[in-house]
This record gives sequence, C-alpha cells and structure tokens, in this order.
Amino acid sequence: MSIFAAAFGFGLVSMSVIAVAAVGFTMQFGITNMINLAYGQVMISSAYVAYYINRAGVTIWVGMIAGAVFGAVFSFLLNRLVYAPFQRKGTSHIGMVIVSLAVSLMLANLLLPIVGYFSVSYQEHAGNLVRLGDIVVTNNQIAIILLSVALMLGIHALLRYTRLGKAMRATAANPTLARNCGIPTQRVIDMVWLITGALCGLAGVIAALNSDSFVIASGAGFLITALAAAVLGGAGQPYGAMIGAVIIGLITELSAAAWSPEYKEVVAFGVLVLVMVLRPQGLLAKRGALAAAG
Amino acid sequence: MNTYYAANLLIYAGVDIIAVLALNLQFGVSGIVNFSFIVFQAAGAYAAAVLSMPPHTAADYSFQVYFGGYQLPFPIPWIGGALAGGVLAIPVGLVVLRKLRSDYQAIALLVTSIIANTVINNARPFLNGAAGLALVPQPLQDQVDTNTDSYLYLYIALTAVCVGLVWFLAARIVNSPYGRTLRAMREHELAATALGKNPVALKMTMFMVGGAIAGLSGAILVGFLTVWAPSTWLYPETIILFAALIVGGRGNNLGAILGALLVPVGFEEVTRQLIRMNVGPPNVIPALEWVAIGLFILGFLWFRPEGVRPEPRHVFEGSPETELVENVGTA
Repeated sequence: MSIFAAAFGFGLVSMSVIAVAAVGFTMQFGITNMINLAYGQVMISSAYVAYYINRAGVTIWVGMIAGAVFGAVFSFLLNRLVYAPFQRKGTSHIGMVIVSLAVSLMLANLLLPIVGYFSVSYQEHAGNLVRLGDIVVTNNQIAIILLSVALMLGIHALLRYTRLGKAMRATAANPTLARNCGIPTQRVIDMVWLITGALCGLAGVIAALNSDSFVIASGAGFLITALAAAVLGGAGQPYGAMIGAVIIGLITELSAAAWSPEYKEVVAFGVLVLVMVLRPQGLLAKRGALAAAG
Repeated sequence: MNTYYAANLLIYAGVDIIAVLALNLQFGVSGIVNFSFIVFQAAGAYAAAVLSMPPHTAADYSFQVYFGGYQLPFPIPWIGGALAGGVLAIPVGLVVLRKLRSDYQAIALLVTSIIANTVINNARPFLNGAAGLALVPQPLQDQVDTNTDSYLYLYIALTAVCVGLVWFLAARIVNSPYGRTLRAMREHELAATALGKNPVALKMTMFMVGGAIAGLSGAILVGFLTVWAPSTWLYPETIILFAALIVGGRGNNLGAILGALLVPVGFEEVTRQLIRMNVGPPNVIPALEWVAIGLFILGFLWFRPEGVRPEPRHVFEGSPETELVENVGTA
C-alpha cells in the first residue's frame, strides 16, 4: 500500500497547486462573466518570467513573486485592452470564448520564439525529504502546500470579511444592481483581474516548480486541470473550486500510481465528463452550467 | 511551381473547403461551437487508413502497430471515414449537447479535442501512438501508377467531386425549411423550442452530419498524404477553420468557401514563400503565422463580425423581429 500512501502525498501537493489555479479561474468567470481560455497561457508565461529570474541566480521564491506580479499586470491589461472592449461592444458569450482562445493561441506563439522549444526547469534544490510514515514529501512541496492553504484562507477572508470582497460578491450576483447601490463595479472588476491574475501567475510558478520540467505546451494541461476542478465545483464558485481541486488532485495522483502518469489529464477529463453528464451545474452551484448564457 | 505542388495546393484547398463547409453547418448555421472539429477529421483519416491498409503483421508494415487493416478497395475507405466521423459524433454529442449551456459546450469540446490527442498519442497499440500511421495506400493504387501526373489529376478530380457533393448537400440544408429552423434555433433557442422545435435533436443531427463531412475530409487528406499522426490534428488546427469561417462569413456557404481559400490555403502559401525567401529564422515564421491567425480572428470580430460575405438576412420590413435580429446577430 505504500505506493498509494506516497501517491496521497503527491495528491496533497497536486491539489494545492490546482486549488490556486482553479480558484483564480473560477473567480474570473464568476465575477467578470468571462471564460478566459488564455488562463493556461498566462500561467505558463508567468512560469517563464520566474524561470528567467531564477536563471539569473535569484531564488525561485523571489521568482514566484515576480511571476505573481506579472500574472496580475498581464491579466489586468488583457482585460482592459482586449476583453473589456469586446464585451462593451456587445460580443456574445460564445464570441468572447473565441476571442480568449485566439488570445491564447497568439500568446503561446509569441512566446515560442522567445523561450524556445526545449523543456526547462528551475534551478532550485528541492529541499530535504520529510517523512510522515509512507508519505514522503520535500521541503519545497511542504512550502507549496502551506502557501496554498494560506492563499485559500486569504481568499476566504477577502470574500467574507472585507468591503472589497462583499463588493465582488455583489458584482457577481448582479452587476447592474450592484452599480445602482453605489458599488464602483468597474474598479471592483479591475481588482478582480489583478487578484485572479496574481493567483494565476503564482499557480503557474508552483505548477512548474512541482513538475520536473515544463514547455510552452504545458499551458494546455494546466488549463485542463484548472477547468476540471472549477467545473466540478460549480463554475464561478471559489469554494466549489477548492473542493474540486481536492478531488481532482487526489484522483489524478492515485490513478497515476495505480495506472500510468501519462493519463493524469485523461483521468481529470473523465471526472469532468462524469460531472457534465450527472451534475452539469457542479457540486455547489445552484444554476451554473444549466442556466441560459447571459 | 511544378505540377506536384499545384496539385498539393488544389487538394488542400478542396479538403479545407469541405471542412469549412461542415463547420459552417455546425457553427455558422446551427450555432454549435465545435472546438473539437479536427477530432472528427482525424477519426475519418484514421478510419480510412485502417480500412485500406493491410494488417500490421504484413511485411512492409511491421514497424507500426494498429488495429484492423482490412485492405478494402477505394470508395470504401472514404465512405468508412465519413461514417467514422458521423458515428463518433453520437457519444460526444450525447455528453456535450444535451444539457450544457452553449459556452460550456465550447469548453467541453475544446478539452475533448486536447484529451483525444493525448490519448491517441500515448496509447501506441491502438493507432501507433505519437509516430502515427505511415504507408497508407492511396486510392486505386493497385490499378493506376500513383507516381504520374495523371494520378494527381485523378486525385484532384475525386476531391472536386467530393467538394461538389458536400457543397450541394450544404446548400440544400441551408436553403431548406430545415435550415431555417436551424437558424431560428441559433438566434433564439428558447423561442424555437416554444414553437415545438427540438433543439437537442437538431443539434445532434448537425453534429453528426458535420462530423461525417469532417471525416470525409480526413479520408481525402490521408489518401493523399499517406501518413497521419497526432501532430497533424492538434486543437489549433480547429481554430484555423474557425478563422476561415469568421473571415469568410458565418452562415454563408460561399463565405465558407472563400474563407477556406483565404485563410488555411492562403496562409500556407504565404508562409512557404516567406521561408523560401529566407525572411527571418525559419522556425519563427510558423509561430508568427499563428499569431497572425489570432489577429485575423480578433480583427474580424471587431471590425466586421459578419465576415467578407455576410449571411443573407431574410427579415420582413417593419417586423418586430428586425431589432431582435440585430441585437443577437453580433457574436
């Protein structure tokens, strides 16, 4: 059974990584009504920003902050310069999905000539091994888990106890009503893109740190796991995304131990299909995928 | 420009026209955002390949593994390719098209496309994994010498016949009362449902028809290329077809044909010329080609969302529908 205990340890790390990515993705969707298919590409771009800083001899933990800042600024600009104008123009939901897919494609191919085709990895010592029974994790992985838990608590506190968080929830529930109540929805949405962008950037760096090596194409895999967790939990629901991340993280790692690591994303996809057939609205959402677009 | 290159260009144009016409039936006319379109083309190509190839135990084929290998004579592989695309559409459609909201459908299909590619890539015994299938027999190769110019003309003629058939079918669907129902569903699904139309049945039908046509396009392509591998059907290939349709004009068959000639064919040709003229490092140009395709999509959605040849609107003067149509018409 020790292989499954080890897989459980990896599962803990995996779910931590997925949670950060999925919460960012689902908040973007829930509050700004934008399915941002370029999310995976912004993640991998941030991972590369951290890579170049790390290669200059700086520790990856500083690179991680740089990745988060890059993710925040980039996502903010992406919304201001591309998504928001299209939305203002009255582009439909589906049109916006196509726009974000086009952005994703452009981003990947703008990066390709810059970062090259070869896979890279961070130069960071993984830290000492920590054993808890059969579970073996590195110090770095423990740091990732703690970071993720802290971020989740932070998001919870933000949404529950701050004025900004309440304004975000109000904007998500009904933007017009929120604006009529005096909430500056435009500024709230800007803040959402900055915060979720930072989560996206962080998620990219820790996902890259947690995998042996990464290439531009890893972005699609990042997007799929984040999507699976977000949809599983009920799109637009941050707490749902956290639960989704726990489930997807555990299932993918356990299946990798029992079967083959090449099929991790396939298993995540299998979970996604099951959810879409059995409970399309996700675990937590009341309407979610079932409601009419718009 | 030698004969082989010209033939290559014409056959690609034919395949792209067939594919974009099929995508037009799904996305342009019925509003199904089929981001896994290329998977159906791939299914057709693989089906045509295993139907026409000898078993993988045959002398020259032992370097690859795949199921089947039936050595069936021409038209059967092409018909089989179309069937494979249509049949594959049934399970995918049943999962995706029944309950989900339209933007979720789009995401689910995109993810399906990425995962299908991963699975075929890793599961080697099924269709030879990442290396793909090679030495796929060409149509009629046991009766005609395939290394002659006249075989190229024959292949162009066969492709042209298929283009004609698909265009005829697409025109019949678009201009029929059934096509009108599809457009009604695309514009206002709830209203169409209220009038007694069944949107799930309509979408499933167009998903299967489009899947079958996509499968046929794959069969034509693999018969000409004689190789087929997962790297030839990555999900961005679907985006090129979407770009073609958005540029050409959604909902308009002529627009779809125009888009197929402008975007996939035109871009291939421009890229080839640029590489030949040594403008910039060779691996940067294909990457920039994708960027340009993205810009094309954004540019057209911004400045001319209806495309070069817009869909003809049949709206009666003074009808209250006019305003509604204008509101929902922008995507």
